[in-house]
Amino acid sequence: MRQAGTYSGIVSGGISGKTGPHLLPLARIKKIMKRSGEEVKMISGESPIVFSKACELFIKELTQRSWMVTIKGKTRTLSKEDVASAVMATDLFDFLVNLVSDSGGTHL
Amino acid sequence: MAEDITGAASINDGVGLKEQDRLLPIANVGRIMKQIVPPNAKISKEAKETMQECVSEFISFVTSEASQKCRKERRKTVNGDDICWALATLGLDDYEVPLKRYLHKFREVEGERAANQMRANGGDSSKEKEDEQYPFKFSFIGSTSNDSNFRPFD
Repeated sequence: MRQAGTYSGIVSGGISGKTGPHLLPLARIKKIMKRSGEEVKMISGESPIVFSKACELFIKELTQRSWMVTIKGKTRTLSKEDVASAVMATDLFDFLVNLVSDSGGTHL
Repeated sequence: MAEDITGAASINDGVGLKEQDRLLPIANVGRIMKQIVPPNAKISKEAKETMQECVSEFISFVTSEASQKCRKERRKTVNGDDICWALATLGLDDYEVPLKRYLHKFREVEGERAANQMRANGGDSSKEKEDEQYPFKFSFIGSTSNDSNFRPFD
């Protein structure tokens, strides 16, 4: 019994195939990387791939932490404020503190 | 039309394309979030939007760290190992193992030669980096070594 797509997707579609294993679009990740600073000159092909997984882990973690705030409030809706609380409560996410504070104001 | 590097939303949607460029698609982000919360849970649109912003900031933050390393080492190209290193440096060393495995699989597909180089170059920073600064251990992250949460490269 052949497992369709596992190998053929990699070989034919390539790593960045549109229905590939990545949950996040690689081209967009690359654009965001390039915007991060002038010193970012060249990016290897694998970097967005690594980021796609890293971002997935990041989103999952922040979501998990946010959800823990949500259920304390006894609701079932994860809100923006829950995300902000999770950020504030986590030293690791210090780099996001200004961002979540700002988003309360002029939000997009 | 101010291009605001800090990411603060200054313009609403007239420049749809620019805003879209700096954020990951909300549908993708939302999908990942949904994997974490229970099936009957709801996620507000604003929460997803906030998450989009956070992820972009995450990418910028890590990339910036990685590219500084490259600059110091006089390399022009940021590669996967630099990303892994930057993550460890920023305290996200729990991500390092699953990411390196992911990267490894990718390189196997690309060619055995690249995989050998990773073994030669990568891996040392994780031993040096101690996590006393960031006593962050999150169970589902730490247990991604064998669990099904970690999507195999298929």
